[in-house]
Amino acid sequence: MTNRCILQMALLLCFCTVALSRNYNLLRSQLRSSNSACQNLLRQLNGTYCREDRMNFEVPEEIEQPQQLQKEDAVLVIYEMLRQTLGIFRRNFASTGWNETIVERLRAEVHLQMDRLETNVDEITEKENFTWENTPVPHVRKYYARIVQYLKAKKYSRCAWTTVQAEILRNFSFLTGLLDYLQN
Amino acid sequence: MLLSQNALAIRPLNLYPVVFISLTFGILHALSDSPDESCISFNMTLRNFQSILSWELKNRSIVPTHYTLSYTVMSKPAGETVVEDCINITRSFCDLTDVWESMSETYLLTVVGFRGNTVLVSCWDKVFVALDMSLEPPEFEIVGFISHIDVIVKFPPVIPKMLVGKNLQTYLSLVIEEKSGSIVNLHRPKIDGNTTGNFTYVIDKLIPNTNYCVSVYFEPKNLGKIHRSPLKCTRLQPGQESESSESVKIGGIITLFLIAAVFISTIITLKRIGYICLRHDYPKVLNFYNLSAWVFPELPPLEAVAIVEVIHINRKKKVWDYEYGDESDSDNEAVPRASAGGYTMHGLTGLCPLASTSSASLENCGNPDAEEPDLPEPGVESEPLMTPGPGPCQSECTDGDYERRGNRLQDRFSEEDNSSTEGSEDRIVFNVDLNSVFVRVQDDDDAEVPPMLSCLPEEAVDLEDPNEMETSLLVASGEGTQPPFPNPSVECLWPEDAPSDESDTSESDVDIGDGYITR
Repeated sequence: MTNRCILQMALLLCFCTVALSRNYNLLRSQLRSSNSACQNLLRQLNGTYCREDRMNFEVPEEIEQPQQLQKEDAVLVIYEMLRQTLGIFRRNFASTGWNETIVERLRAEVHLQMDRLETNVDEITEKENFTWENTPVPHVRKYYARIVQYLKAKKYSRCAWTTVQAEILRNFSFLTGLLDYLQN
Repeated sequence: MLLSQNALAIRPLNLYPVVFISLTFGILHALSDSPDESCISFNMTLRNFQSILSWELKNRSIVPTHYTLSYTVMSKPAGETVVEDCINITRSFCDLTDVWESMSETYLLTVVGFRGNTVLVSCWDKVFVALDMSLEPPEFEIVGFISHIDVIVKFPPVIPKMLVGKNLQTYLSLVIEEKSGSIVNLHRPKIDGNTTGNFTYVIDKLIPNTNYCVSVYFEPKNLGKIHRSPLKCTRLQPGQESESSESVKIGGIITLFLIAAVFISTIITLKRIGYICLRHDYPKVLNFYNLSAWVFPELPPLEAVAIVEVIHINRKKKVWDYEYGDESDSDNEAVPRASAGGYTMHGLTGLCPLASTSSASLENCGNPDAEEPDLPEPGVESEPLMTPGPGPCQSECTDGDYERRGNRLQDRFSEEDNSSTEGSEDRIVFNVDLNSVFVRVQDDDDAEVPPMLSCLPEEAVDLEDPNEMETSLLVASGEGTQPPFPNPSVECLWPEDAPSDESDTSESDVDIGDGYITR
């Protein structure tokens, strides 16, 4: 009886591992495609860059050069970046003259990526020893808080928005690198 | 003179910085004059792993003689940086391979066009490298073998800063496209930041003596246009004989295996459905080991067969007195009786009359008209019994005088009840199957027990069953007709003198003591 239970557990573990690996491979492929779509949409938002309003938002190391990042941390960082990006583009960008449809499509694409990550994020955060403090997510939140603070300080001006647009475009490029951590 | 010589010696040394500074101030001056963003278009290309930036002025009427390129980034408030290799260049492109370091940066590029010392145009635009860089295919070579092709992709000995490390595999997805006729296969070899020099990828499992074409390209991240390399084709060498013979061997083994599988499955199927029966212990008749015995088989011993002789004894049957008038009242009285010879006549008292009242039984007996020729005429009672064929059982059933004959039968049983040695009134009905052939070995013992056969049913007569009714009525008809010589051919009313082997030899068959007959 004990042997049968051990065998069943082993088989279950194997199946779960295979299913999870396939899940991550598929997830990575989907996110790559969606990420490229987001970058293209962001590029379509026309606007003249203002050199005088450039700002160094100090991208966290976990985003720009993720050398020692675990797969679970990468999932959390990607999800947090998408969530913060969605929050930024829900703010007032009336001064930019951007096409509302393009912005809406951008938000939808970001939301789609978040939905795809939802299950994986739940699996990670529902672990017993999980605490947000042990993840790079707080740094990411501070980084995006600086961006929002900048927009507020500049009163959502056109130049401020173009600076943020360039920064978000840069973040999507970092996301491309982060997605590589989702492979098996 | 000396002063002039010193001046000539110093002049080249100090001239370059002066020119550089003046150009820088000139560019800054031009930028301060707010360069036009829409007057130029940039094109970023990765060609042989080199980042080449080219530009084209939108206003073609302005033709500068030389250009100066500078850039800055959007991610921080940094100053303008002049590209040293792109100062006062006469060409409209610049190699930025060793200048730019990030693929994720948005660069603000400024080109100042000069004619002589005069600034003709100052234009700027932004370039996001990860999306705007066009990926041209790398150089490669192919080497064809019998069943595989080696694709050798030429990477630079030193990877550019922009692609060093993880960026090479993140931003460059190498794809090798293999074509054979209309079949196209894509191969995606994994490359990393340490991939330098010749990178060899093997396309295996190909068909010998077939033409294959290979193309290589980098898959763009921005879903943009794919720049494929020109096809390089090769025809694989024909396969060697050893390989063909090996394939033939494998094919032969597979064929043999299939044949064996089919044979075994056929045998199993035939055995299961019963067409063949494989046994290990053969019966003796199939034992051919003893050949002599098989050739000269032993004759079976003669068996002593008792001679059975059928003796027709014409014995005058006991004649009963039929008095219809008086004894017709006892209709429901079923009395077992024994015949004079010791055989028990089954008491059918009350059965036939009851059956006669059942219209269903009469209907089931068939068409009376069709049976009419076989029916015994009431007036001529002995003739039907003498004729072979359908017995009186059937004819009786269809007879219109069925009821009357039933009454006769009852009367007769009532009479015989008086003469029966076994008769007792508490045993009214018992069933004996006398529908059997009684064969008697020639013996004199049966003289006292004459076989008297009747077609009385073994079981109680079912009033609803016309067949049993017929059998019962046969007796009635036979008795009623009072045949002078019971005909053995009559199947229901067996002749009294019919020899019965069983009835005589077996005492257990006939138990006259208590009135039951046990067989």
